[in-house]
Amino acid sequence: MIGSKILLVDDEEIFADNMAKLLQNRQYKVTAVYNGESAIKALEKENFDVVVLDLKMPGMNGIATLKEIKNLGLFTETLLLTGHGSVDAAVEAIRMGAYDFLEKPCAIDELVEKIEGAWKKKDEAWKKDLEEKLKKVVESPSAVFKLFD
Amino acid sequence: MDQGYESRKNKQYSRLFRRFIILTVICSLVPLLLAGWGINIHYSRFAKERMVKTLETRVDYHRKIIELFLKENRAKLDFIASTHSIASLSKNNQLNQILTSVNRDAWTLTDIGIIDENGNHLAYVGPYDLIDKNYSSTFWFKEVMEKGSYTSDMFMGFRKEPHFVMAVIKIENGKRWIVRTTVNTDRFCSLVEDVRLGTTGEVYILNYKGIYQTNPNSGGKIMTQDPEFESDIHDGLTFRCIEHFDRDNKTRKIICEIWLQDPKWLLVVKVDEKELFAEVGLANRATLVSLHFSALVILIVALFITRHMILIIKKRDLEVEQINTQLMQAGKLAAIGELSAGVAHEINNPLAIIITERQLLLDMEKRMPISDEAFGEQFNGSLAQIDTQVLRCKHITRNLLRFARRTQSVIEKVNINEFLGEVINLMEREAKSGGIEFSCSLDESIPAILSDPSQLQQVFLNFINNAIDAHEDNGFGVITLSTGLAKDNAGIIIIVEDTGKGIKGENIEKIFDPFFTTKAPGRGTGLGLSICYNIVKQLGGTIQVESKVKKGTRFTLTFPFTPPEDFMKPESTHGKK
Repeated sequence: MIGSKILLVDDEEIFADNMAKLLQNRQYKVTAVYNGESAIKALEKENFDVVVLDLKMPGMNGIATLKEIKNLGLFTETLLLTGHGSVDAAVEAIRMGAYDFLEKPCAIDELVEKIEGAWKKKDEAWKKDLEEKLKKVVESPSAVFKLFD
Repeated sequence: MDQGYESRKNKQYSRLFRRFIILTVICSLVPLLLAGWGINIHYSRFAKERMVKTLETRVDYHRKIIELFLKENRAKLDFIASTHSIASLSKNNQLNQILTSVNRDAWTLTDIGIIDENGNHLAYVGPYDLIDKNYSSTFWFKEVMEKGSYTSDMFMGFRKEPHFVMAVIKIENGKRWIVRTTVNTDRFCSLVEDVRLGTTGEVYILNYKGIYQTNPNSGGKIMTQDPEFESDIHDGLTFRCIEHFDRDNKTRKIICEIWLQDPKWLLVVKVDEKELFAEVGLANRATLVSLHFSALVILIVALFITRHMILIIKKRDLEVEQINTQLMQAGKLAAIGELSAGVAHEINNPLAIIITERQLLLDMEKRMPISDEAFGEQFNGSLAQIDTQVLRCKHITRNLLRFARRTQSVIEKVNINEFLGEVINLMEREAKSGGIEFSCSLDESIPAILSDPSQLQQVFLNFINNAIDAHEDNGFGVITLSTGLAKDNAGIIIIVEDTGKGIKGENIEKIFDPFFTTKAPGRGTGLGLSICYNIVKQLGGTIQVESKVKKGTRFTLTFPFTPPEDFMKPESTHGKK
């Protein structure tokens, strides 16, 4: 979806910057950060539709970051980038609620395809949530104040 | 393994063997023999004591009989002297009646004579003509006159044959008379001598000077000197042992002696020690033979068991050594696996960057097309080449990671002909260095199959590796790879054939067994073909092997077009081995 907000997290700075440029070329709004801690900070500041997260990072790794993201309870989907060897960890990440994983090195088209999928999922979840909240407003008008919480 | 190591090992086993044997001997044989010998000695002593006791009883019993005999005859004499007057005794016919009546039961008294103080016979009844003889100078006359009653030793006297007399004094009207009788020598001697004590036992009587009073069985004669006599008057029974030397034989005799009370005669019982203790000796020998036989059996059994144990230990040691070698090999492989996984992972990152850089250039070109045609061509060609080479690198890292078994089994379409080409590429350098060429006879019409390329790679690398090793002694040879459709069209056939040394008939059954190898220690784990067999089975295929020694070996593999359904299940993805 053109204009979707993407957060790219990868300790390999050149890769993160290049990926950011490539995604920007495809009309995405991209922020690139180089570690898990910065990713959490960025997510606390603003909303992102999709987070593209590297699994293997020094300090807070992909799994730990994913856990934190889930703790924040945001409407955001996470895509994991993994080296070929860490498929098991990627599978575990999916169990923890990540949308999907991609093996590095990957082509930009593959990434875009997955991002689109992730965005759709996020959008559906957001819409569903909104519908439920609206239902509650209809049932009890006082809930309107909670709508924008 | 070097010679020194082998001989050191053998020495260790020999030492172990000796220790086991010594331990067995100390723990079982020594106590057995000590207890056996102890019991035997104790039993012998006990049995001998019993034998001696029996002999003692018999000797004492015999003494009593002889004494009783003498007493009885003395009593008869006393009775005659006290119940008859000299007047009646002096008449031969009356004396004869008396003799007949006292001998009524047994003829124990040979004769009776009545002698006056001067030694002349008043009357005499008996088989000898002694009525005129004068006894005043004989020793027994003097003794009886002095003591009142007397029993003599054996002597010859007037009758010139061995006999002994009993005499008592009878006093009548102030005068002394002697009533004398001769004890029947034959009866007395047979009473003493006829006691049978085995075959060598003998009984005889000696007087206080050691003169035979009866005939001994072995040598000697009545009234001669007993050479073995020891003058020692004592109470009760005595035992002594003497040794006889008879030519080469040495025999030991046990002499049991007891003094009679009156006269002072010595009853001697002489028994061969061997005969006396024959039963004890026999029992002893039987016990000792069975004891030593048992000890021998224990020793032999211990030797056998120990030898068997040492063989088991040797076998176990060998197995442990083999397992250690295999573990080391496995450890090495695991380390290589870890290392390759790390390397592959590290390479993936720069590859990812290269791909993004290429994509950035492509994006840029889209926005600002290159006007120069030649440059544009070169630019696009280079980017395409970068893509190709990155893909190649990606394959390499993927293969490395597969080797490290970090990836899940992936079922992909595999074009077997192309796949074999890749495998040959990998092995070509190694084969060439061994003087081996590859020959391919590939059926181009076979379709691609669904299978796991990484596992297939492992299988074919293994077969080709073995085929190369099979040519080790030749230095040249050909490995032929052929493909084709399976007979019933159910899959494909792949044949790997070599011209190597072949597999011996007895080994062909075992080649797929884990840890079976004919390669030198350290060169093969014996796991390769076993793993291959499992992989092929999991992929739904079969393996057949034909081999001729010195001609070569042919492996025929079949694979189905699609793997079995359960192949993708987690437990079967990496194989169970």
